[in-house]
Amino acid sequence: MIDLTPRKLLLLEHYADGEDARHFTFRIEQPLAADLAAIPGQFFMLVLPGFGEAPFTYVSTPDAQGVFKALVRRMGALTTALFALQADAVLGYRGPFGNGWPLFFKAKRVLAVAGGCGLAPLAGVIDAAAQQAEPTQISLVYGARKADTQVLGRERSRWRESMPLIETFDQAATGQRSGSPLQHFDEVFSAGLPDVLLCCGPEPLMLAAAEECLRRGMAAESLWLSVERRMHCGVGLCGHCYVGSSYACVDGPTYRYDQYLKLLTHCPQFPGPAAPQVC
Amino acid sequence: MQVFELDSPERLRAHLAQSRTLYEVRADGQGGEHWQSVSVGDQTAFNPSAATASFSAKSFFFAEREVLFRFEGGQFLSALPEVAPQVLFGVHACDLQAVAYQDRFFEGDPHYQSRRAATLLVGVDCVESCDGGFCHTVSSGPDVRYGSADLVLVPRRDKHAPWLLLAASHAGVQAIEALSLTPAIDDWASERLANSQRVAQQQGEQVDIIKGVALLNAGKIEQSTWERLGLQCLGCSGCTSVCPTCSCFAPLDQPTASGGMQRERVWDSCLYQGFQKEASGHNPSATPGARVQRFWFHKFGDEINAPFEHYGCVGCGRCDRVCPGGIGVHGVMHKVVNA
Repeated sequence: MIDLTPRKLLLLEHYADGEDARHFTFRIEQPLAADLAAIPGQFFMLVLPGFGEAPFTYVSTPDAQGVFKALVRRMGALTTALFALQADAVLGYRGPFGNGWPLFFKAKRVLAVAGGCGLAPLAGVIDAAAQQAEPTQISLVYGARKADTQVLGRERSRWRESMPLIETFDQAATGQRSGSPLQHFDEVFSAGLPDVLLCCGPEPLMLAAAEECLRRGMAAESLWLSVERRMHCGVGLCGHCYVGSSYACVDGPTYRYDQYLKLLTHCPQFPGPAAPQVC
Repeated sequence: MQVFELDSPERLRAHLAQSRTLYEVRADGQGGEHWQSVSVGDQTAFNPSAATASFSAKSFFFAEREVLFRFEGGQFLSALPEVAPQVLFGVHACDLQAVAYQDRFFEGDPHYQSRRAATLLVGVDCVESCDGGFCHTVSSGPDVRYGSADLVLVPRRDKHAPWLLLAASHAGVQAIEALSLTPAIDDWASERLANSQRVAQQQGEQVDIIKGVALLNAGKIEQSTWERLGLQCLGCSGCTSVCPTCSCFAPLDQPTASGGMQRERVWDSCLYQGFQKEASGHNPSATPGARVQRFWFHKFGDEINAPFEHYGCVGCGRCDRVCPGGIGVHGVMHKVVNA
């Protein structure tokens, strides 16, 4: 039976990490085996009593003490309340939920493409790849609106030392790269065709990146996206995060591109009002 | 399955009500019919009418509003419901099929299952079609489907013949043991089949439903058709409230008198504009047409419904009755077929 009651979570510390974003360290008071088995790309529900709960990805998954990290951007009532809390505050936790990234450590070349906050679910898999005995050649193309909106500053400093990292901006300052991550694919692909794409960001960016990888010769089965949907329950019951016949909270949020497209055929993308570009 | 003769459904009702809270659909005196509790001594004649009540049995198990947990003194406390034994008396085949569908959907949900485990379901075969129903087309009735009830009442065409009572589960057999009923000798199977065929004839071929569902699953309904239908959706949530298989909910935090809080879940509707809207502002189902389409895919989509081995629509016709925009199931399918 599913347990819908949260467990206690302690806020240990936090630091500013990008515009309106903070890097939090939490500790699950009584971690379970499932917490310790969490993999990058999965998510948890963060409960703020009185303000509801919301899904966030793990930047680092729980260690033996239940300590893990998450990136949160302040967007609404729940995150505003979270940002007002001090260390040692008691919160609630449910998880881990959903499917994480496939762990492709036999792949020789992994291309990670992220936009805005979409870098957060990729952090764990990038770190894991770097820690392999024979490190996978992982490269990252990271797009953001401008320098202030970049997240995971400390991780990026570390990654710059160990892997090819392209950082590009919609509003680039002098000396910075500009344009969408796709505009730098020539450079990325000149090192060889990647075996795998792992992508997270605004949906138009992900779909365009996957199409571009296909056009350049990658197989649809090697393209993976982490999609955002509104998840209220995390256990496939509340209905909010549907993607066609699937629920992103249990069947995603990591989808293989060809399977995602198939789901969308019964869930066409209607021309709606343009979403604000916040990430 | 054991089959008995039953002199009167009222005697069965009184017997079951001795040890359980018993609910039956009764007129509310204001033109509607609702589930109401019935006392042991109630003498009102049981009405096997095929007319469907305004609401199905859904809320007995998937409550319209319920507490999931409490946060008191820095602790999260489970709030599983404690449900006394109850019996729903005279549930129609369509609504029982919907319960069977939700039994699967909420298989792992402790709140739903604790209510369900405390409940005895007494079904009743419909021997005439209700107005607007099409249970025969979607294989949910008019005879109660095997496994969907503990006991099944079968009214007789011959007014002088005793009722038939089917004991269809272990709990059902146990519940009537003390009545010492006589096993039925009539050819009850043929009689139920004849009832079913008569109702099927009354309900007709349902050409729009059959053609519309085929078009939907073949992906042959234009987006423009959905958008036109979407213009008729007022986003009132009437259909999702009365639909016996709709199961969407939203969380709601409420302060408690003791200074803590409790998390409730309340029925939600996929027809609401903000149902899928994310914190970023992105809304994957931003248009009314997309949301109307979603609702009907949920009811009739093969891929969505394969795990349940049944459509999400049980043919009760409540959406036709309640929709102010005329896009209940017959309204939608007629427009889809004639687009």
